[in-house]
Amino acid sequence: MAARKRVLLAKMGLDCHDTGIVTVAQMMRENGYEVIYMGLHNYAEEVVATAIAEDVDLIGVSFLSGQHETQTRDLLVAMKQADLAVPVMCGGIIPPDDAEELKRMGVADVIEPGTLTPDLVARISAILS
Amino acid sequence: MADAAQTPAWKAKEEQIFETGAGLDIRELYTPEDIAGFDYAQDLGVPGEYPFTRGPYPGMYRERIWTRRFQVGFGTPQDTSDRIGYLAKTGANGFVITIDLPTSYGFDSDDPIARGEVGVTGVAISTLEDMETLYSATSPDSVSYALSIRPPVSAVTLAMLSCVAEKRGIPLDRVVGTQQNDPLYQMSGGPLQTHIQFFPLDGILRLTIDNIEHISTKMPRLNWMVTNGYNLRETGVNAVQDGAFSLSHAFDVFRKCQERGLDVNVFARRASFFLSCSIDFFEEIAKYRAMRRLYAKTMQERFGATNPECWRMRFSVQSAGNTLTTQQPQVNIIRAAMECLSAVFGGAQSVHLSSYDEGLGLPTEESSRINLRTQQVIAYETGVTKTVDPLGGSYYLEDLTNRLQEAIAAKMMEVEERGGLTECVRTGWLETEINEARYKNQRDLDQNRRPLIGVNRYRIPPEEEIPIKIHKIKASEWGERRGDYLRRYREERDPVAWAEAMTRIENAWKDGANMVPVLMDALKHKVTMGECHDAMRAAQGFSFRKGGR
Repeated sequence: MAARKRVLLAKMGLDCHDTGIVTVAQMMRENGYEVIYMGLHNYAEEVVATAIAEDVDLIGVSFLSGQHETQTRDLLVAMKQADLAVPVMCGGIIPPDDAEELKRMGVADVIEPGTLTPDLVARISAILS
Repeated sequence: MADAAQTPAWKAKEEQIFETGAGLDIRELYTPEDIAGFDYAQDLGVPGEYPFTRGPYPGMYRERIWTRRFQVGFGTPQDTSDRIGYLAKTGANGFVITIDLPTSYGFDSDDPIARGEVGVTGVAISTLEDMETLYSATSPDSVSYALSIRPPVSAVTLAMLSCVAEKRGIPLDRVVGTQQNDPLYQMSGGPLQTHIQFFPLDGILRLTIDNIEHISTKMPRLNWMVTNGYNLRETGVNAVQDGAFSLSHAFDVFRKCQERGLDVNVFARRASFFLSCSIDFFEEIAKYRAMRRLYAKTMQERFGATNPECWRMRFSVQSAGNTLTTQQPQVNIIRAAMECLSAVFGGAQSVHLSSYDEGLGLPTEESSRINLRTQQVIAYETGVTKTVDPLGGSYYLEDLTNRLQEAIAAKMMEVEERGGLTECVRTGWLETEINEARYKNQRDLDQNRRPLIGVNRYRIPPEEEIPIKIHKIKASEWGERRGDYLRRYREERDPVAWAEAMTRIENAWKDGANMVPVLMDALKHKVTMGECHDAMRAAQGFSFRKGGR
């Protein structure tokens, strides 16, 4: 049997809306993933350090207060500096144009609110395959 | 038995679940038997009198239509003030002022932690001058502002407001508005971490009571919001938990006020609630009515309030953002309208609707205007305001009100047995309740137990979506402008007077003084929002900064 995929979820910046990410963490656990949730207010360097220490297959970050571009850019830069190449997934309230911009920056997928669990799981396994 | 294959689709009975959002049973028909023993005088009574089931005031909307609040707040204080000046001319008669996240946590706009967040979710307020600017088009004794804020920061903004009034020669007892003062639910109702990452919980609770003391002794016309039930409800809890946790929290705060030696007949006069209105139409109406009864009873019996004004539960409402969808966003206008109507039947004093673009970005001027227009249609065209509590006496609603009251009271008892609401937050029990509700909500959506149009039924492909205007964020521009401003502000102050004022904050904190007058003094010596917090943290030996940030 293949090892269970490990996923790191984190909130970055000052945003504290956590309903989405906490729910996603649980739904992923129920669907066979190992999930490490870092909680709120993490800096890019902390997320990267944890991702390396925990040897994860995917990083997921969630934004609901408009800081998605600044924070995601920080994260991608910190990953590059640490030579960490795992896919990054974003979620939350992200305007469609900004979602396209995030993908151009290198984000693998942007999950919108209202995504049902089977769809979420399918999109994550597409990223990981 | 009819063969399903032979029943045409249009005739087939649709599968429905006959329970409320909180899981209370709903029967096919309600009759007088369901409210056997109903005593009009005791259960309903006259509007404006105990137990206030029919509304907190006599005459209700015939006397005064609810306050139609307009949410505003972005960029610099001048940007926001200009916008308020314009909106005041177009029919908004009250404002919810949102602040940006750095300000919500007590950080100045030029703090490194604020990068990319200045002016984004609301206006940035770092100095006394910023608050003066916010009032440049209005006056604190005539236009009501409700700042979306919480302790510890609300102690500083209350001090700022007091200074602005003083400077303009307005006696403090003439100042109007609403001071939000919920120490536990304000930051999106989220986990304990939200509250204690940047300031100790005991310090937050102390400032909560400092604010109440300042308001109730010096600013009798200023409302203060005791519970932000809206943000709590947005986490995903149901109507019963919402009612119970909102009331339990308020009573916990009242108990702390009494421990400080404050008189319930004075401090509770202007206490108010901020509540969510969700999509289950009758359950929400019943929730408000049940909460009013429980509040009146508890204030009279447990707190011994003899002033009838202190039995009256008053609340403002925001329609539930978490019932809105990212998909087919225009449909959200209908949801908000239904929720608004429900809030009005529930007897709200003030209403603010979530915008149809909630799931896509921050509200635009266009989406905010539709919110105001929705309320104006309900207030002026539908006729629902023309009699008090038009649904009172409905077998279903009265029965549901009774059942909600029982369920809320039982949940409150559970909280009480665990040492009160603050203790439930400290131990993580509340967070567990919230998380279980969140998982249930997602499973209900996944399994189609809760229909959500555009999400688990009646979906359309993305290419058929009608594009809407999206709010544009200018975070880096606002951050630079604020950085330049604060640099000048700090250069132009007297460093000796500033340092002395900082020391006075630390000493007053250690002496256990009421901090509001001390903060007023500091602000006048150009101590900034962030510095006020630094001094208060230092006095508590608390630090959080890491990695040089």
